[in-house]
Amino acid sequence: MIPETKNADTHGFLGEEFLTWLWFRWESDGGEFTLSGGRVVGVALDDFLAFAAPDEDSTEQTLRRGLPTRTAEARIALRQGSRLKKARLLVAEGSRQWSATLDAPTLALSGVKLPEDAEECESDVDRTADRAANWLALHEIVQALYTQFLQQRLRPDYMKTAGEEQARWMAS
Amino acid sequence: MAAIRRSGGVVAFFWAGKVPDPGSESFCQALANRRFRTIENAASEEVSIGWVTPVDPTGDSFAAEDLDGGAGTWLRFRIDKKTLPKKWLQIHRDSAEKAKGKKLSARERRELKDDLMEKLLPRVLPTIQLVDALLFAERRTVLLFAGSKAAREAFGKLFFESFSLPLERGNPLQCGLRADIGDSARTLLERLEPVRWPRVGGNERASGPRAPRAMQAAAEEGDA
Repeated sequence: MIPETKNADTHGFLGEEFLTWLWFRWESDGGEFTLSGGRVVGVALDDFLAFAAPDEDSTEQTLRRGLPTRTAEARIALRQGSRLKKARLLVAEGSRQWSATLDAPTLALSGVKLPEDAEECESDVDRTADRAANWLALHEIVQALYTQFLQQRLRPDYMKTAGEEQARWMAS
Repeated sequence: MAAIRRSGGVVAFFWAGKVPDPGSESFCQALANRRFRTIENAASEEVSIGWVTPVDPTGDSFAAEDLDGGAGTWLRFRIDKKTLPKKWLQIHRDSAEKAKGKKLSARERRELKDDLMEKLLPRVLPTIQLVDALLFAERRTVLLFAGSKAAREAFGKLFFESFSLPLERGNPLQCGLRADIGDSARTLLERLEPVRWPRVGGNERASGPRAPRAMQAAAEEGDA
């Protein structure tokens, strides 16, 4: 009923490119994104990174705790052209902050933590409404970021513009 | 009724087409038609999957207000599984083999198992799993709070049986096809290949990403 593998295997790389792009944007522009309607969200990578194995025989590399993006291992992986397969993200909009692990090949989120319930929530019905809005907001933020990435990635001159910039960052 | 969860994993699904208004009688009826049915007293190994509500885990009632999830509709389904504990089977088999003084034949083992299932399964309680989802009808999106393949497949099947609509999982391609990127970009998306980033310190030069092999080949053909 759900075609789990239909094109998911063939386009898993695109989710990995997206996650690596988020890292690039975070380090190069501070991770601030303006979404449609003028919404501004901030994205940062947190304490977990997993790099995709370059091929089936290679080992996947996982870095946990502390600041894995600052480690020599992470830089080496980027310099070798590796893409991120999974990472723990911090996402903020206004006073709301989410944390979640994004599995890039499937775009599934795990270990999500929603913002604290709003102070005005007095009942479970209120809390459900508040949390449902926060689940939806997180989903829509990830979709909007992915759309921004695709708009760049699918440009005919991508390899000579944004792609070139990212390549320099990865090689630095 | 407790509030919906504030943490955990989530997978997005999309559908094309129309589900009834979640506040309507027909929506509740669609859920009721595939309501959960208990297997508490069943005398065979089986699985029962069906809709319940966050208010009533039995599957006996489906009121629109029980599905209220603020901006979304709070769906819940229940998976009950009844299986004969393997340890029980092993204990009875060991005992029968000890009494007989030699190993049981395949036929004897099968008969022993059938006999035990008939005797023990009515006394075995099923395991219960409650899985939540938030449905956003206008966005044709549903967020499923379960990561296991079994739960995802059960949900897709139940949704289809209830609304006659297949669900598409929100992978990088499906999310891209739904994104506001224009028709030509959508066509390009389906044929897209990975960027081969340069490997510094390897055999490749340090600057500039390389186009996918197919694009390079096409360019070379053009040059020729």
